Amino acid sequence: MTPRDSAQFPAPQGDSDPLRAKAPVEPYAPAVIARALSQRVSTADGTLAILSEVELAVQAGETLAITGASGSGKSTLLGLLAGLDQPSAGEIVLLGQRLNDLDEDARARLRAGRVGFVFQSFQLLPALTALENILLPLELAGRADARERAAHWLDRVGLAARAGHTPRQLSGGEQQRVAIARAFATDPEIVFADEPTGNLDADTGARIIELLFELNASAHTTLILVTHDDALAARCRRRLHLVAGRAREVALA
Amino acid sequence: MIYLRLGLWLLRRERASGEWRVLLLALIIGVGSVSTTGFLGDRLKRAMSEQGASFLGADLLVTSPRPIETWPAPSVKNGKLKTSPLATSQALEFSSMVAKGDAFQLATLRAVDGAYPLRGSVRIADRPFAAGTPRPAQPPPGAIYVEPSLLPLLSASVGDRVQIGEAHFTIAGVVAEEPGQPGGVFGFAPRVLLRADEVEQTRVLQPGSRLTYLYQFAGAPDQLAAFSAALKLTLDSTQRLIGSREGVETLRGAFANADRYIQLTALISLLLSVAAIAIAAHHHALRHYDQAALLRCFGATTAQLRTLYAVQLLTLGLLGSLLGVAIGAVMQQALVGLILPDAATRLPSLGLAPVGVAVVSGLLALAGASLPALMRLIRVPPLRVLRRDLPPLPVAAWISAAVSGSALLALIAWYAGDAKLVGVFVGALAGLIGVLTLLARLALVAGRGVQRMAHGPLRFGLAQLLRHRFDSTLQLGAFTLALFLVALLALVRSDLIAGWRQQLPPQAPNYFLVNIAPHQQDAVAAYLSQHRLKASTLYPMVRGRLVTKNGTPIAETLPEDARDSNTLRRELNLTWTATLPANNAVLAGRWHGERSAAEISVESGMAERLNLAVGDQLAFQVGDQTLAARITSLRSVKWDSMQPNFFVIFAPGQLDALPASSIASVYVPPNAAGVLPGFVKTFPGITVLALDKLIANIEAVFTQIIGAIQLLLGFLLAAGMAVVIATLLASLDARQQEAVLLRTLGAQRAYLAKGLWSEFIALGLLAGLLASACAEIAMALIADRLFELPLRLHPWLWLALPLAGALLVGTSGWLTTRHITRVPPMQSIRALN
Repeated sequence: MTPRDSAQFPAPQGDSDPLRAKAPVEPYAPAVIARALSQRVSTADGTLAILSEVELAVQAGETLAITGASGSGKSTLLGLLAGLDQPSAGEIVLLGQRLNDLDEDARARLRAGRVGFVFQSFQLLPALTALENILLPLELAGRADARERAAHWLDRVGLAARAGHTPRQLSGGEQQRVAIARAFATDPEIVFADEPTGNLDADTGARIIELLFELNASAHTTLILVTHDDALAARCRRRLHLVAGRAREVALA
Repeated sequence: MIYLRLGLWLLRRERASGEWRVLLLALIIGVGSVSTTGFLGDRLKRAMSEQGASFLGADLLVTSPRPIETWPAPSVKNGKLKTSPLATSQALEFSSMVAKGDAFQLATLRAVDGAYPLRGSVRIADRPFAAGTPRPAQPPPGAIYVEPSLLPLLSASVGDRVQIGEAHFTIAGVVAEEPGQPGGVFGFAPRVLLRADEVEQTRVLQPGSRLTYLYQFAGAPDQLAAFSAALKLTLDSTQRLIGSREGVETLRGAFANADRYIQLTALISLLLSVAAIAIAAHHHALRHYDQAALLRCFGATTAQLRTLYAVQLLTLGLLGSLLGVAIGAVMQQALVGLILPDAATRLPSLGLAPVGVAVVSGLLALAGASLPALMRLIRVPPLRVLRRDLPPLPVAAWISAAVSGSALLALIAWYAGDAKLVGVFVGALAGLIGVLTLLARLALVAGRGVQRMAHGPLRFGLAQLLRHRFDSTLQLGAFTLALFLVALLALVRSDLIAGWRQQLPPQAPNYFLVNIAPHQQDAVAAYLSQHRLKASTLYPMVRGRLVTKNGTPIAETLPEDARDSNTLRRELNLTWTATLPANNAVLAGRWHGERSAAEISVESGMAERLNLAVGDQLAFQVGDQTLAARITSLRSVKWDSMQPNFFVIFAPGQLDALPASSIASVYVPPNAAGVLPGFVKTFPGITVLALDKLIANIEAVFTQIIGAIQLLLGFLLAAGMAVVIATLLASLDARQQEAVLLRTLGAQRAYLAKGLWSEFIALGLLAGLLASACAEIAMALIADRLFELPLRLHPWLWLALPLAGALLVGTSGWLTTRHITRVPPMQSIRALN
């Protein structure tokens, strides 16, 4: 692991944005830190440990794949890192903020405009067109040039011609492209992706992987993704393998 | 602010969604229902007052033994002089002989101007007892119109010439219908209408003649109110001011609370719509958990989500309410045109108050129905974006119940008005829901047996019905309720109203004999029994005015606002009898019976209005005498019994010293109507009053009210259909999945369609059967308890209701679900994924 050169990896753009201005701009600061992270749930048969003592630090601009078998706790870890849930024990720092100190709404405010998501099931709003789906987080973040930006990102994923189509009229691959454009449109500092190719065939999945990493490289975004697709995991700089809730960093070739 | 805009934006994009549409539809139906009644109530009240006004011939009538020279000055308002815009008409009433050849008869002559009557109309016929046509009440020059009873008395017919005083007139027609009977129902002789400008030439009027000047006024209610308030200060005790309401005193019971009950009927439609809204809102929330979770992921806080969904709800609420109000405005106009065609142009235009009431009702109903679902929606955990099965945090049941309960209770309380009625309404509603749920469950259990015997699509359809048991119960309950109430009202109308005449016989009188002189009593009785007519008890009648209570002038014993009671101003018909009349019941004190003492029995309503109690000493002014007596009992009186009824009944012997004539009622069967002319000729001084007209008026009022309620039940049926559609929409995904499975397994589209049809038709038939049973039971209770009518079954009901149910539920069900039979299986599988 080498520290980044700030000239090579400049701070994300949009510093003039009021929302962005609040964030501490520390190119060397870790985007996400997890310390002794555990998640337990109560079941009828007693307490079940989903995650145990996970330690993790992801620097800004890094790419990390979380892999593991079904039920190994991948998605749970992703949800905790993104601040979508509270851990049973341990500490998480996201974009310089200690999540344990924040309540649900404060964590939501932290996410607004600064965190992007890509889901296995795309999660596009069926009533909105492709363009409008990209527009949604921009509107929520209060971007003045939301519409232009959304059009720009739709073009970036090669779907400018389908702007007025609803998700129902798009193929799975196209829907995921829209979802990726939506995730990057707000210039987030970090993007979380949950099995982004899980619902796609191999060819389409490969193209989606290309797109995801291409956009990530040009936006210098931190990318954390959950996958059981080795090809996808191999594209990441780092890989964290979960076995029964315990994490092990895998050295990549 | 962003979320406000976003809420509207998403709403616009989702406007085609089934849930929003059903929610909006249900809201429109509910608000349409309450706003129709709101508007209608406004105008119906006025219509009833019109009916009252046509009894009187005016909105206000002033009678005076002397001409009134000065009227209250035009009121000064806001510094501007406002001249009275009231329409006026003047008439003069006096008694005179009318003669033709050797025959002569005492008649009441009414000399009218061209404006008479201001309200209602006069129908003139060219022969007695014909319907006649509406015509100006003022006869052409040289002509008179006469009451039919005058013709046999004079052996005259239309076209004959008669003499009044020194002038001759042609009988140009008979009065078939005429408003304006200033002395109340009793105490007038055959009447003659003549021109006011031709009174002079009769030379009948001499100094000292007994005259009554009639001044009629009509106009806008607030102007009339101001005018009559000013007028009251100037009138003396010989002059009377009669409002149109007093003109229909006998109908007062029928009017009481009619408006309130109509409004409550409308509320039932709104509450049924609430059920549809609640289902639609719940399903809408279910379908939007993902959306809410996604928005939380994007950084939306709970407050922002609340803003977003609240603005959507409020927008839909306002839109639905306003559309409902628009429908209400159209519906009430249609209704007014239907039942009161001649009044439609005279009614005031729509007020804004009912609009506000309807919109607030709609928002309250929407809030009560949908807040619990939306409260869950904004509490959806963001983690749901990763774990789809994660349900929203449950909202504490008591909060949900409190939110919905208080909104709906507020709504009911608003419409019911008083706590007791709220209690009765809520209790009845809860009981009805309980009974309907039980019945629906039982019916579904019975349906299981049928299903086992059925084959093919029918079996499949019935299986659906039984599987979605909660939905089916709800649909069945809602539709049964709607059909039941529709049927009940139809039965009430056909059985009670049309059957009213049949209920009143065998002995119900249809004629009053008024003004029977003491020496005629035996002869009248003999005449009637000779013609096999049975008259009621003969009641002596003396007219007197109540003047003091316990030595204090009666007006001073009352609070300011009660002093204008009509009972104080007018002369009461006083009687005496030892036997309590048949339709009376003593409520307080003891009936005086044979005891001849200065004791009276007072009607309970009058006692309440005038704050009288047993033991009070009253004094009456009769002519130039004063009559004192102590109240020893209070009575209830069945005013609609068509018997002579009295506010005040003296103990025997107390009125002996006073000049009294008697009154009796008699039943004349239609085939014996020919007896009447003979009677009139035999007893020229006795007035014969036909009650048929009065009965017809009461019936007209009932028909109007029931017509209005029936329109509202149309809303109820629509609301029932909305419930069916809402529950079906909620189950549409599951149904589609099943349909896909069946089609994949080789079922043809026709099979699926038949399955759906059998499900909905079965549901409709069942609802119809349950509703028939409920209606028969309710009707039997009403007939037995309230009207003491014999039990009657209505076979047609058992055919009509199931058919109507099958048609309505079948159509709405099929329209909601038909597309699941049309989607190709492959496409459906994709869509479901």
